[in-house]
Amino acid sequence: MATKNGNGDLVQAGQRFTGHGPEWKDANLSPREASIATAWVEQKIDKRSMLTNKDRVEDVRDAMWQLEKDGEILVHRVADVHQPVEAKTLYGWTKRIPTTQLWHHKSCGQCGNIPGYPVSLLWLMNKMGISYLDETDQTSCTAWNYHGSGIGNIESLAAVFLRNFHQAYVSAKAQGLPAGHFYPLVHCGTSFGNYKEVRGYLIHSAKLRESVKKILGKLGRLVDGKLLIPEEVVHYSEWVHVMRSRIKNYQEIDVSGVRATIHPACHVYKMVPEDVIYDDEVLDGNRVAVSTGVIQALGAQVIDYKTWYDCCGFGFRHIISEREFTRSFAIDRKIKVAVEEAKADVMIGHDTGCITTLDKNQWIGKAAGKGYELPVMADCQFAALACGAHPYKIVQTHWHASPIEQLMEKIGIDWRAKKAEFEAYLKEVEAGRQDQLYDPRLRITGGPGFKPIKREVIPPPPAQA
Amino acid sequence: MSHAAASRVQDFIGDPVSEKPPVARAKLEEIFQDIQQDLRFDHELNGCLNCGICTATCPAAHYYDFSPREIVQLLWTENLEGIYDAMQEKIWSCAQCYTCAARCPFGNSPGGLVMLMREVAIKHQMQSAKDVLRPFSRVMLKLISTGNQLAPDMITPDHFADWGPNISKVDAPLKVLRKAIPMATLNTTATAWEVNLKTSVELYTIWEMTGVLSQLEGIDENLFDVITDIMDEKREDWKDFIEDQDNDD
Repeated sequence: MATKNGNGDLVQAGQRFTGHGPEWKDANLSPREASIATAWVEQKIDKRSMLTNKDRVEDVRDAMWQLEKDGEILVHRVADVHQPVEAKTLYGWTKRIPTTQLWHHKSCGQCGNIPGYPVSLLWLMNKMGISYLDETDQTSCTAWNYHGSGIGNIESLAAVFLRNFHQAYVSAKAQGLPAGHFYPLVHCGTSFGNYKEVRGYLIHSAKLRESVKKILGKLGRLVDGKLLIPEEVVHYSEWVHVMRSRIKNYQEIDVSGVRATIHPACHVYKMVPEDVIYDDEVLDGNRVAVSTGVIQALGAQVIDYKTWYDCCGFGFRHIISEREFTRSFAIDRKIKVAVEEAKADVMIGHDTGCITTLDKNQWIGKAAGKGYELPVMADCQFAALACGAHPYKIVQTHWHASPIEQLMEKIGIDWRAKKAEFEAYLKEVEAGRQDQLYDPRLRITGGPGFKPIKREVIPPPPAQA
Repeated sequence: MSHAAASRVQDFIGDPVSEKPPVARAKLEEIFQDIQQDLRFDHELNGCLNCGICTATCPAAHYYDFSPREIVQLLWTENLEGIYDAMQEKIWSCAQCYTCAARCPFGNSPGGLVMLMREVAIKHQMQSAKDVLRPFSRVMLKLISTGNQLAPDMITPDHFADWGPNISKVDAPLKVLRKAIPMATLNTTATAWEVNLKTSVELYTIWEMTGVLSQLEGIDENLFDVITDIMDEKREDWKDFIEDQDNDD
């Protein structure tokens, strides 16, 4: 049966969608013309021009240097002693990534729930002889709670940021070393995004600086009476990215048969996007380079998938109290696509909430006939596995609910044997004999339990069980 | 429409047939002014042509009656009734991914604006905020009292039954598994990492000086009481430590 469309033309039933209003007219474009007409959509959706076609973009560091010149603030510099490696950000600006003398600013979600994430990172650093400090005098960024609940405000976020970074600045004094010796390396993606956003507001708002200065003054955390602001806010994935060639030098396991999908984290590259690393050699510079870069360097196949841009579904509040949303989004928009479309062996991430969400929300899918199984882990965990780290003692894969064992079998790791080794090691632990990646006394830099210790050499990598 | 009904619509927001007391115009203006006065407001709202690219890419819009475009429009047009209405439920749908902000051609941050609205919902002690945040209180307790937002002892099958049987694939007591992590700061169960007493005490000063404790008191008085007890205890410990140090000197 034929009906008339908006042009008054007869259209056969089932021939095409005719649900437009009466004003609709068929453009009658040829396929080539249609392609030209819609090319911008593809460009907008899939290319980084989505982020670059904007006005009013500024490099906040210019204003930061000016504030320092005006005597308003002091900048904690990435110095030569930190052996920085330069990387290019979205607009081609240079970002200096410190590669040694690093102060680990931990993630509460990683440490509480995915401990193999930070352990793998420290293990890689030990392998490469990188100097670092992992200490107790730090809070989380508090931004997970803030984004989830609204409890907190710009002043509290800024004060927490500057307090933690000030501690990073002075922490080496406990070892008899000068201030500024260690440079903060932020583990969590939300901390990374939040700190960069807050840094921008601190630099732009004299009022915010004034109110936060009162707080930091009361805490004794000003330097020469000034607020201390970091030259760069650096995420651990950026360190992994600039070190990827060196990490490859330690590779022991061939991962070329692995099909890896990457989940770029929203708070890593959508918050303050102008600060994010893009590399022309990584997916033609059209995607954020971190994680993809190291996975490619290790020789795995990075497989694209259509929902790469989507978030994981974490939602901050939702992961705790409205998980119907979290798991539906995680399964339908990420896991299902990675499994069915990309035929992935693993999904690699670089943020706390994403790894948790994507890893933990697969089992429940069975209730809806969506029993997808996809190993999920962080880039540094994958790198550590490829470099021969123990899958339980170091990568701590037993905390992952997703089937990491499938991936281990694919790359030739006898996980059953490794698990048995770890279970035997637990007996040692129960007897009080546990291995550490560094001298545990260094973790306390002040307050109860502090004893000055001069650290002279980096401990060797732990013996493999 | 009667004159009384017309005035009610002009002056108040509320269901005209409901018994609930209406919200006065002055209150609506106060709420909007609180949102607008945040220093972030002018950075996060620059204009809007209703293109809807934010909503097209919004994860929450897939599942909820929520649209970042609508949030921006309400604020941009200063629609006080609509703003108040959105603060009852819609703002709590946002997943805070900032995809909207990354995509907006105007450089708006709908996700950031939602945060300003959430803060103001808490400041005004809206019942909707109290209801929404009740299940989140475990995180708030942990964060405000310890500085960590998540701890190993929070991840239990009771609380996360939908995560399945593999929360830990090695059968051993949590304490032993945590001690087997070769980072000394992580050999803990009640916090994600070992937190220095000095750190906690400094954090409490930040909470007090930035009004966070007042926010908490307004939204959950019981939780506030529990947290202030913990704070008092730790401050006492810190005082004792300082006195011991002085005596040693």
